[in-house]
Amino acid sequence: MGRSESPEVVLIFRGTHQVLSAEKALKVGGVAIRLIPVPRRLTSDCGLAVRLEEQSLPKAREMLAAVPIVPASAHRLLSSGEYEEVSF
Amino acid sequence: MTVPKEYIYLDNAATSLPKPRGVAEAVAGAIGRAGNPGRSGHALSIGSARDLFAARERLAELFGFRDSARFVFTENATGALNRAIKGLLRPGDHVVTTSVEHNSVMRPLRRLEGAGVSVTVVPADPTGTVAAAEVVAAIRKETRLVAVTHASNVSGAIQPVEAIVRAAKARGVFTLIDAAQTAGAVPIDLSALPVDMLAASGHKGLLGPQGTGFLFVREGVPLVPLVEGGTGSRSEDDHQPDFYPDCLESGTPNSVGIAGLSVALAWLLKKGVASVRSKEVALISELLEGMRQIRGVIVYGPEDPAKRGCALSFNVGGADPGEVGRRLEREAGILSRAGLHCSPNAHRTLGTFPQGTVRVSPGPFTTRKEIRACLSALRGIAPG
Ligand SMILES: Cc1ncc(COP(=O)(O)O)c(C=O)c1O
Repeated sequence: MGRSESPEVVLIFRGTHQVLSAEKALKVGGVAIRLIPVPRRLTSDCGLAVRLEEQSLPKAREMLAAVPIVPASAHRLLSSGEYEEVSF
Repeated sequence: MTVPKEYIYLDNAATSLPKPRGVAEAVAGAIGRAGNPGRSGHALSIGSARDLFAARERLAELFGFRDSARFVFTENATGALNRAIKGLLRPGDHVVTTSVEHNSVMRPLRRLEGAGVSVTVVPADPTGTVAAAEVVAAIRKETRLVAVTHASNVSGAIQPVEAIVRAAKARGVFTLIDAAQTAGAVPIDLSALPVDMLAASGHKGLLGPQGTGFLFVREGVPLVPLVEGGTGSRSEDDHQPDFYPDCLESGTPNSVGIAGLSVALAWLLKKGVASVRSKEVALISELLEGMRQIRGVIVYGPEDPAKRGCALSFNVGGADPGEVGRRLEREAGILSRAGLHCSPNAHRTLGTFPQGTVRVSPGPFTTRKEIRACLSALRGIAPG
């Protein structure tokens, strides 16, 4: 991950428990993710967020919907370094 | 981990000993690496958050509920009961409870009584068991909560919680079960039992360290947090988060204890609570059977072992229970608990107030040999 072709997406959740529940579900679905501190540009929250590749979004949606877990928001990292909110 | 070999530990109703293999090691391991869970993004903070997450998932599995977020960690059953009772009841509300509750239910209720909550205490029968119909009959239109213990810590009597919960629910009344004496020892399935809240210790039947407990809160219970503070989530907002488990878990938790609890829960999941239960019923049967044959020994609570948890109260003639407890320890190394067991009303119900009783309570690691040693010591103490 990181320098790959597919842009990065950051998923924000409601609290650490939900982040770890999401991580568990995404791992079960074989979605490659990383836990990162929530980017300051997104919220001033001191919690964790899930980072994944945009190409994994359909599978991620499917896995999270099955639990169900609804992220608070999803954001695509632009080449400018800014984030753009995307629907999840 | 074993109890020092000069002792026979029969005080599992107070706290369980020994703990399953690996619990102490998990606690020791966690103290060396437990970062503040969910507070920082670094490896040791995340590691600690994962310990909590794993323990929560195991609790949910053990109690048959799909959403582990509804299991809130507390410092003990008392902390869980206070959060449930004080978080729900408001002036003008009415609550129904029983005469066999522990002080961790009664004292919060008595305090709220002074603040405009009315309390009905339904008396139990002489075995320490309440009738579901009497509890239900005490429900009024302003009744907000029915709070009942699953099994008495004095008589051992298992209460008809299923019937009570269903009837209260049908009347739109919230329910709270104090499962301090049953969690991990008697199967509880929250997918079948529609109770709204369930409180338990982590350090009794769940076999974890002291300083752990939990409160289960079903969706739709409008519980107001008793304690607000830092949760690691939504730090930009100076209002308490409204989502579980964060709304009820402020401040740094006992991650170290919970790491131990997690290992204990894994042990219970593997072993199966039903198998722990059948072992303990066999031990209690042997104790009951043996005690009935000792002249002068009076046993309290239901005669049928299937109707009791693991707490077994008795007296030896008119002897002071404290003295009997001391003799059991001195003469046979048997560790019991004498007195009122923080439950004065339960003793009034049994007719054993104020002198109390001697209580023995086996656990999953108690052996039949230990039960026989206890009976033999009692034969030596009883006047004959
Ligand atoms: C029935 C009952 N409720 C509540 C409690 C309180 O448990 P804790 O000591 O974990 O707060 C106990 C045990 O002491 C108990 O037996």
